[in-house]
Amino acid sequence: MNDTIYTMGVDVGGSYIKCVLVSYNKEINDHKVLDKQTEKIRKRNPKIVASEIVTDLLKRNNLDYDKDISYLASTGEGEMVERKTGHFYSMTSHSRGGKHFFPDAKTVVDMGGLYVRAIKIDEKGKVMDYKMTGQCASGSGQFIENISRYLGLAIEEVGQMSLKADNPEIPSGICAVLAETDVINLVSKGLSTPNIVKGINLSIAQRVVKLLGALKAESPIALVGGMGMNEGMVQAVEELAEGKKNRDFKFLSSKDAIYSGAIGAALWGGFRYYKLKEKGVTL
Amino acid sequence: MAKEAQKERSMILQKEMIAGLFDDLANAKELGKKVCYTFIPGNLSELIRTFDMLPVYPEINALQSAMRKKSASYIKEAERNAHSEDVCTYVKCDVGMMMKGNIGPTGQKIPEPDVLLLSYTGCFTFLKWFETLKREYPNAKVIMVHTPYQENAEMTPEMTEYMVKQFKEEVIPQFEEVTGIKYDEEKLKRHLVLAKQAEDWITKIFETTKHKPSPIDAYFAGVYYIGPINIGFRGTKEAVEYYKELYSEIQERIRLGLGPITPEGEMKEEKYRLVVEGPPNWTSFREFWKIFYDMGAVIVASSYTKVGGVYDMGWRHDASRPLESLAEYCMNCYTNLNIPQRIDLLTKCIEDYDADGYITNSIKSCNSFSAGQLGMMREIEDRLEIPVGFIESDLVDPRYFSYSNIKNRLESFFQMLEQRKSMQTISEK
Repeated sequence: MNDTIYTMGVDVGGSYIKCVLVSYNKEINDHKVLDKQTEKIRKRNPKIVASEIVTDLLKRNNLDYDKDISYLASTGEGEMVERKTGHFYSMTSHSRGGKHFFPDAKTVVDMGGLYVRAIKIDEKGKVMDYKMTGQCASGSGQFIENISRYLGLAIEEVGQMSLKADNPEIPSGICAVLAETDVINLVSKGLSTPNIVKGINLSIAQRVVKLLGALKAESPIALVGGMGMNEGMVQAVEELAEGKKNRDFKFLSSKDAIYSGAIGAALWGGFRYYKLKEKGVTL
Repeated sequence: MAKEAQKERSMILQKEMIAGLFDDLANAKELGKKVCYTFIPGNLSELIRTFDMLPVYPEINALQSAMRKKSASYIKEAERNAHSEDVCTYVKCDVGMMMKGNIGPTGQKIPEPDVLLLSYTGCFTFLKWFETLKREYPNAKVIMVHTPYQENAEMTPEMTEYMVKQFKEEVIPQFEEVTGIKYDEEKLKRHLVLAKQAEDWITKIFETTKHKPSPIDAYFAGVYYIGPINIGFRGTKEAVEYYKELYSEIQERIRLGLGPITPEGEMKEEKYRLVVEGPPNWTSFREFWKIFYDMGAVIVASSYTKVGGVYDMGWRHDASRPLESLAEYCMNCYTNLNIPQRIDLLTKCIEDYDADGYITNSIKSCNSFSAGQLGMMREIEDRLEIPVGFIESDLVDPRYFSYSNIKNRLESFFQMLEQRKSMQTISEK
């Protein structure tokens, strides 16, 4: 008997919409990400963008929504996603997504466009505790995007560029507006782009490490969300955490870290599908 | 039917009281009444009434302007007149309102002050606020009373004596001079007897949230309940009558097992019980409240409803020690408590009211509240091991209310609460 079902996860973030198609098998606990897609929202209606991505993924995989998809789960700001079966809190989704990437992870750090959130999880990926950055944009991926635009870099280049730094200078980590002014000054001073970018990564990493301390985080720590794909950010977090007394943090990252929310939502969707089925509820 | 009529009566009473006050203010000259501007924390309502003066509370005008969506234009007006972006937005809203004709929340003109009475100096902004108003109203008499901070978590006899001396030597003689009325201590005592009665009633009202489900929301509805006691009616029969009526309406809700009333009707299910520290945001008050009641969250206690007086620990105005009890009242206001006292008070609230979580709304404008809030939150989290949440907004400047940011943070917080509750249920099984 083939117990594999197809589920989808749509994570609507501040800057990007991420969507995954997952094959979910409850019996053998084997779940695979079959396909994935990311779209920058730009100035478009997120509801329409999300709908288009879902349609694209279905078409690419020769699937029919009504016949083949057992659960379409939304997360993040995705409550408006059309055709969704259910919605999950982003913290739940990212925790589960982090656990999918790294089954041993005890802490997941969701580093997204709007904020950074450190989450302590149990062995099933359930949320035990969390800490979040304040509402200033200087602790967010959106801030890195703004700076990269100013420096003429594509967002994908930021990570590698940061790794080339030899003498980074950290701008204000308190206020995004002050930090942007700092960056303008650093450019005028002739500081190299890698050193500026690394400085930015370090300023955000300071916040991440502070959150981990406040959370009394346990290792290993999965770095997920858009900024989790930024190798320079991962390096900055590792460097700063190393300097902390009595801490022996091991950080884990993935090139697909941006999909953690969407994957987590799709997996929770599969879990809920079977739970409801057991109760005799047909979706 | 009878229940609905009862519910409305306290609201009607409050509306009538406030409308009456603003009518009197609009006709102050004709009535031959002097006008005293003062602030909520440490307000000397009973003494002001003893001299037949009418009180004006600039913070109340500012928050009313925000709820009527007028604060943004008032703040811009003040900023055009050189008030910095970093100045408290209550101040800018008040100054802007004054510059645009000083039309109050009822649409009537608020008269110029005869007295600017500052009886709580814990907020440095208050001091500068009245200095600013003094320039605008050169004929007003400015009386500033120094209120000692409860640095060592106590009100010593020397502190009380120091304040009484200021009342006797500064406040009372100047009140006599402005009003032409001789100080009548017996009259003050009569007001203090009524003040104590209102304080007893409001304490009983806020204690009703110990019931499950809580019959009221002690923050979002609580800000309405503290209206009469805070805006000049403490020490009057009307206030006692209002609180008696409100209490009996709440008792009826308890008898019927009803939860709080929200702008969208009765709350169906009480899922979470919370304690909130810090003032609310006034510009998006309904949206802010909605995030909570949509999640089934009821606020069972809040520090903000103690801003005009902390009565939880048994302190009351005392007619047998009139000036001494006024002094203690000023020193005992919430923001005059030191940080460990505030932590103890909030801890007691969380325990006594069986709260599931603790939320801080950190207000950009208000240093008196915001200073130390993060430390307080961490101490409470360590002490009680309950979920805590921290959000940021402002009193009356809509530019500082970011709905998505607040909603994101509150969603994480509620998720944490849900998780803890489900774990608790499992361990109880």
